[in-house]
Amino acid sequence: MVNTRRNHGWIIWVTFLIGLLLSVSPLPQFMEVLRPLWLSLLLAFWCLNVPAKVGMTTAWVLGLAEDVLYGTLLGQNALILSLTTFLVLSLQQRMRMFPMWQQSLVIFVVLGVMQLVQLWLSALTGNRQPTLALVLPAVVSALLWPWVSYGLRGLRRRFNIN
Amino acid sequence: MRLLVLTVLSVALMVVDARFTLLKPVRSQMSLVLMQSYWITDLPQRLWQGVASQFGSRTELIAENEKLKTEALLLQGRLQKLAALTEQNVRLRELLNSSTLVNEKVEVAELIGMDPNPFTHRILINKGERDGVSLGQPVLDARGLMGQVVELMPYTSRVLLLTDSTHSIPVQVNRNGLRAIASGTGNPERLELRHVADTADIKEGDLLVSSGLGQRFPAGYPVATVKEVIHDSGQPFAIVRAVPTAALNRSRYVLLVFSDSRTPEQRAADAAQVEEGAAPPATPAAGPATAPSTTPTMAPAAPPANNGHEQHPAAPASHPATPAASHPATPAASHPATSAPARAATPASHPARNAPATPATPMAPATPQGAH
Repeated sequence: MVNTRRNHGWIIWVTFLIGLLLSVSPLPQFMEVLRPLWLSLLLAFWCLNVPAKVGMTTAWVLGLAEDVLYGTLLGQNALILSLTTFLVLSLQQRMRMFPMWQQSLVIFVVLGVMQLVQLWLSALTGNRQPTLALVLPAVVSALLWPWVSYGLRGLRRRFNIN
Repeated sequence: MRLLVLTVLSVALMVVDARFTLLKPVRSQMSLVLMQSYWITDLPQRLWQGVASQFGSRTELIAENEKLKTEALLLQGRLQKLAALTEQNVRLRELLNSSTLVNEKVEVAELIGMDPNPFTHRILINKGERDGVSLGQPVLDARGLMGQVVELMPYTSRVLLLTDSTHSIPVQVNRNGLRAIASGTGNPERLELRHVADTADIKEGDLLVSSGLGQRFPAGYPVATVKEVIHDSGQPFAIVRAVPTAALNRSRYVLLVFSDSRTPEQRAADAAQVEEGAAPPATPAAGPATAPSTTPTMAPAAPPANNGHEQHPAAPASHPATPAASHPATPAASHPATSAPARAATPASHPARNAPATPATPMAPATPQGAH
């Protein structure tokens, strides 16, 4: 039993891998600004549902991977993602009770705050970005949250990941 | 607790990564694996192209073949002339005792990804450190300069495009050698020339080529064409907007320029030898008071830098052009400019450039320029 359970843990990593691919996949010019924060969404789902397997350390490692992909300073996205995970984990008990639209709202707030931190960090490193467009990915991610959540829940039931 | 540890760790990593080169090997090792994801995300397009070329109709291919043949013929015809011109150029340079123009070696690289961050203009190409790419190396496409390499990974590298808002390139107007700095604006179709005087002789349709003065880009490659020149009397400088000639967001194949294979020491020795012979005749040829001060000081300083060699041919080429073209224009333009600022400058400078249009309306000379 334990053995099968461990065998299914890799599904989580497959979703993270797909998330990494999605976060660098080419998009039309006008949609680049709207690119959802796939890794944050996936991390939020998995650490809400299987906090034993996915935590801040996972988030940090994924963030490092994202840093290398994006060519930002090593540690920038790692910091962002681990802070996201921390916020979601601290809201975990409440969020599990919420209906879906309220969960979306919380996700929007958390990701929006993280985008602001992102802005702050990139301003420190000299790449200032137009401020308001920065919240758009958080909006799109919040709108995507129900679908991601239902999809991953189905995946989780199917493979019995606990 | 864990958050604290991770935060401190990330901050430490960021600081180390920003200040030291300690983390370069870590990054390049990680990129070996991770950069495959750009390749994977590019796969559908690659497959589609493969399929499209498989099923491309025969007539289409024949037509394309014909077109390419005529194009090759035209280009070869132009090339014959170019060979003669290059030869002539070399001989003239020998007469001037200045160093010969280096024939740059180029290598083709393929674009494998765009930077996902929409606020920066960076691309990834499939040549890296192991292919001999170096930091700061210029990148071209078929029509002009694209940018420079800013990050090296073993088999890939990241290229900062000209239009990124953190990028600037020294250029000169091909028509008269007027020098300026072209800065990116974050818009893929626009560059802006900074600090161009209101009376400067620059107009719509001018070709801007790289001047080689930054010692980063080789001289003489097309960078942009001037799209509009706005003289606003409320502004201290003219607003000059230009469109990059390179297809920055469309090119799939790019050229990496390998400018000089010699070591800095060899280059320094060669430049010193040339300098010894060139110094007396070059200085009077350079003309105005600014030139003698820059030319001798730049030349010994240039060789250790990357493209130091291009600096030298650029200087004598541009200096004789500057007094010939801009100096007669400037006194003529500056007198009306004091009475009727900014507007009067344009018609005053146009007769010097033998523009056929009437000097009464400032906009009129621009239209025939834009038409052809």
